[in-house]
Amino acid sequence: MSDALSEDGSDINQDDSREEDVMTPVELIAKLEEAWLNEKFSPELLENKSEVVECVMEQLTHMEANLQRVKKGDAKASIHRMEIDRIRFVLSSYLRSRLQKIEKFFPHVLEKEKSRREGDTSLLSPEEFAFAKEYYTNTESYLKAVALKRMPPNLQTVDMLKAVPEPCLDSFVFLRVKERQENILVEPETDDQREYVVDLDEDSQHLMRYRTIAPFVSSGAVQLI
Amino acid sequence: MDPSEVEFLAEKEIVKIIPNFSLDKIYLIGGDLGPFNPGLQVDVPVWLALNLKQRQKCRIVPPEWMDVDKLEEMRDLERREDAFTPVPSPYYMELTKLLLNYASDNIPKADEIRTLVKDIWDTRIAKLRLSADSFISQMEAHAKLDNLTLMEINTIRSFLLDSLNCMYKLRSNLQPGSSKGQLTDY
Amino acid sequence: MFCEKSIELIRELHRMSDGQLPAFNEDGLRQVLQEMEALYEQNQTDVNAAKAEGRADLIPSIKLRHCCLLRNQRCITAYLYDRLLRIRALRWEYGSVLPPNVRFHMCAEEVQWFGNYKKSLASFMRSLGGGEGLDITQDMKPPKSLYIEVRCLKDHGEFEIDDGTVILLKKNSQHFLPRWKCEQLIRQGVLEHVMS
Repeated sequence: MSDALSEDGSDINQDDSREEDVMTPVELIAKLEEAWLNEKFSPELLENKSEVVECVMEQLTHMEANLQRVKKGDAKASIHRMEIDRIRFVLSSYLRSRLQKIEKFFPHVLEKEKSRREGDTSLLSPEEFAFAKEYYTNTESYLKAVALKRMPPNLQTVDMLKAVPEPCLDSFVFLRVKERQENILVEPETDDQREYVVDLDEDSQHLMRYRTIAPFVSSGAVQLI
Repeated sequence: MDPSEVEFLAEKEIVKIIPNFSLDKIYLIGGDLGPFNPGLQVDVPVWLALNLKQRQKCRIVPPEWMDVDKLEEMRDLERREDAFTPVPSPYYMELTKLLLNYASDNIPKADEIRTLVKDIWDTRIAKLRLSADSFISQMEAHAKLDNLTLMEINTIRSFLLDSLNCMYKLRSNLQPGSSKGQLTDY
Repeated sequence: MFCEKSIELIRELHRMSDGQLPAFNEDGLRQVLQEMEALYEQNQTDVNAAKAEGRADLIPSIKLRHCCLLRNQRCITAYLYDRLLRIRALRWEYGSVLPPNVRFHMCAEEVQWFGNYKKSLASFMRSLGGGEGLDITQDMKPPKSLYIEVRCLKDHGEFEIDDGTVILLKKNSQHFLPRWKCEQLIRQGVLEHVMS
């Protein structure tokens, strides 16, 4: 067994103090999986988790580099490779879900990013922002080139914000509570119903509208399932 | 969510194996494993257990609940109660399927276990259909779903959520000025 | 009836199942644009008459034609946009080179849109993780740490698996191999998965 794999990488932020609270790799992978499921099930695009993505990629690269140095026939190497494959799948699938939503809601995503106040966490990572802008320009100039410019003068533009559907925040979602929340207002579905409040106990599971619990998804108090 | 992704999550669950080889501790990104010593029980994630088992490098110790008496009790309780009873594992269905498919020789009375788990699953899915039906017809805005597993939720997810969204659209389109999303909404 | 042609465009896509891309209907598009031109010209004439001669009786037909114009515009953009979504899906299915029969069904502007989309996606993937890069069009399915039974369809020579063992892939030989090592060889037609 080579030394390369015996290194204990339990503290990924040893040498740099980017993060205030130091995350262990185990916590990091847990964070990635949470973000993956939340993004998969939330109707809207959630805040980007660039730092998690970067740290996970660092871990993977580091591990792959170590595996290069391992002697052939090392029994541990194949186990490490299987783990790498599993983590890379979650990471790719997470980034794919985000990209799909960016494409689906591009005018709204860009609008939200534009109206973001200084100091707020940005919705998009820098590379996602670049992608969204290019996607917008590409699609807009396509529509213009192939049809809009051949239409009567008063019909040569399309308001993308109106034309592309917005995320439906009123969609229902399934969730599990990680930190207890009290007095959550449940809006009535029909006129003859009344609104009421519920408490969300730790570890309980619920089906309700995304809009009601959206703040708890970003704060990490609930997990979408 | 694709069922293969639920199975992927189930594969993270920990099982006990009895290896027939020795190996030092492994420092995986997601936590440490081992050391492995022949004949000594050790905890590993299911994905590794199945891999080792296929290569005939270990015997899998069935989880405690994977036992005919215990499962019979659970099945009877599930049939008696109207509510969903607590399950032995959040991935009981997937684990049963995985372990019985790849390690049935390590699991006593595998066939009976398969049938029992299937019975429990069927009873629960029937309850789930009933609750989904009443959720929709009563136009509820909130439901508590304790004890439901991810795979169970997954069986009704798209059907239930699509129906609810559709009904919401029909209701909100009755109000003027709510036409959004023209490009894809012919 | 106005707008029939544009609805026909929509119907054409609607009839196709999700993954399919029918030939770009340039002719249909031109006909709708011609109808729009005619509607617009008639409206110009009527608007002028309404203004100059105070012909208020023309206003309802002006409004009707304008609605038709908007509807035609909406249908055409929906037609074009839905096609883009199908083309996008093909990128994820086939990779960056589309099969010729698909390309054949695309108009020049769609080919250009697709080229730009590919470029954006590639630079996005290259810049992931602070410039390290990650191909997210791979790993579409959860990995399976399992072994599978495969049969060799042609002589391929020696093949090393992760634990360092070297096996000889000879025509008609059968092996028990890690699935993740075989997938590419299966796609290349060297191995075939033996279903038990």
